[in-house]
Amino acid sequence: MNNIVEFSFMWDTFIHLLQFIPVTLFLAIISMVLASIIGLASAIVQLRNIPVLKQIATVYLLIGRAVPTMVMLYIVYFGLPILLLVFTDKTGIDTGYQHIPPMVFAIAGLTVHTGAYLAEIFRAAILSIDKGQMEAALSVGMTWFQGFYRIIFRQAALVAVPLLANQFLGLIKSTSIVFTITVIELLGGAKIASVETYRYLETYLVVAIMYWGISIIFEKLFLLAEQKLRIFKKEANI
Amino acid sequence: MIEFKDIHKAFGENKVLKGINCTIPTGSVTVIVGPSGSGKTTLLRSVNFLERADSGEIILDDFHLDVEKATKADIHKIRQRTAMVFQMYHLFKNKTALENIMEGLTIVRKVPKAAAKEKAIYFLEKVGLGHKANAYPHELSGGQQQRIGIARALALNPDVILFDEPTSALDPELVGEVLEVMKKVAQEVNSTLVVVTHEIAFAREVADHVIFMDGGVIVEQGPPQEILNHPKEERTKQFLSRYISLVEYNI
Ligand SMILES: Nc1ncnc2c1ncn2[C@@H]1O[C@H](COP(=O)(O)OP(=O)(O)OP(=O)(O)O)[C@@H](O)[C@H]1O
Ligand SMILES: [Mg+2]
Repeated sequence: MNNIVEFSFMWDTFIHLLQFIPVTLFLAIISMVLASIIGLASAIVQLRNIPVLKQIATVYLLIGRAVPTMVMLYIVYFGLPILLLVFTDKTGIDTGYQHIPPMVFAIAGLTVHTGAYLAEIFRAAILSIDKGQMEAALSVGMTWFQGFYRIIFRQAALVAVPLLANQFLGLIKSTSIVFTITVIELLGGAKIASVETYRYLETYLVVAIMYWGISIIFEKLFLLAEQKLRIFKKEANI
Repeated sequence: MIEFKDIHKAFGENKVLKGINCTIPTGSVTVIVGPSGSGKTTLLRSVNFLERADSGEIILDDFHLDVEKATKADIHKIRQRTAMVFQMYHLFKNKTALENIMEGLTIVRKVPKAAAKEKAIYFLEKVGLGHKANAYPHELSGGQQQRIGIARALALNPDVILFDEPTSALDPELVGEVLEVMKKVAQEVNSTLVVVTHEIAFAREVADHVIFMDGGVIVEQGPPQEILNHPKEERTKQFLSRYISLVEYNI
């Protein structure tokens, strides 16, 4: 019982904390999916030079990347209700903002932050594709959107996957800060548990191992996705 | 039939097309020759609006298009009635040879998959690459890629096929196989073929009509014997003397 590190306690903690993994994964995956949509839309708007939307995207990317994730989280958490309150005041439409679970703010904050980085990744990946590919698509009679979706995007995806993987692993770690706006995920669960037991070191060691495990699993998954996409590429086996 | 009426195009200050007028009859093979920078590529690309001319008219049989007023729908329509073979092939890199040909059929023409596949195999065999159906572009030589590029265009059965220097990116030993395929295509296909090339021998043998361009205008045009053997204009003579002596030398 006087060991610095008590393994049976760590095991129990591990089992106890497993229940929070779905929360962490839910936060990370939903934010990633939403951020991909925002990021891709921002990248397209910039590349296609669509007036007004392009300016909005530029401002978003500047802010999204300049503001620390936690600050972004606080701004969303405290700002969004005020925005909705004003909206309700002005229009009389009840948004029920008082009842929005903090999880929603957490996802919104993480999405805004991650989307700005993904936009840059998508933009670079799309730009790396030879513009002759789109010309060929148009020349056979495809619309821009068909050419983009069927030809450009699929080639760009391959370029983007390793960078997306990186971003996603970062996002998993970023989810740990949502504890500050009362969402209990893996780190939050661990904090509460350690306060009850006073065994901080062991608890955080377990948490570290769990984040590490999650990261390894997703790294493998992304590698698999990359290999699946790679079939049309020459450097398959480098 | 494809007709150009007073086509103008400038890139900034650089006037590249300065009033192009000409008619290319249906089913003909028209070869465009001319020095580098004379606007050949730009003219070809203005047909399917990969480059949008500043003013003028493009007429494709019954379809009259004022380039200044062309809408998205017009452009889409003209692209569906034309096809292009690119200097750098531009096969879809994420698609196999077969899929490259099927893509336009299934996605644009809405041909059912099985029928599209059958058609794609037919055209692959036509260009002598039936055995490469499942190869990705990076697994093919330049000559093979270009033959598939030609098959991709043929399969769409377009009114017009635009060739922009289809052999000039190829290693010399691969030029022959592509020119062979193009000759065959010229004989068998009903589409109007417009070919920008420096292969004067090919023009002499295959073309019905030769256009010589220089400095953004058509200097002269006519049957190949006339333009290539007995040019009237000084600029044509100069261009050909450089070219033909070179080509003839190699043979
Ligand atoms: N996208 C562009 N932007 C600016 N200038 C261009 C563009 N495309 C072509 N040009 C210019 O237009 C002129 C004509 O080009 P074009 O490619 O039509 O010539 P070409 O006759 O096809 O020459 P080549 O035999 O070298 O292919 C050149 O001076 C070229 O620099
Ligand atoms: Mg050219």
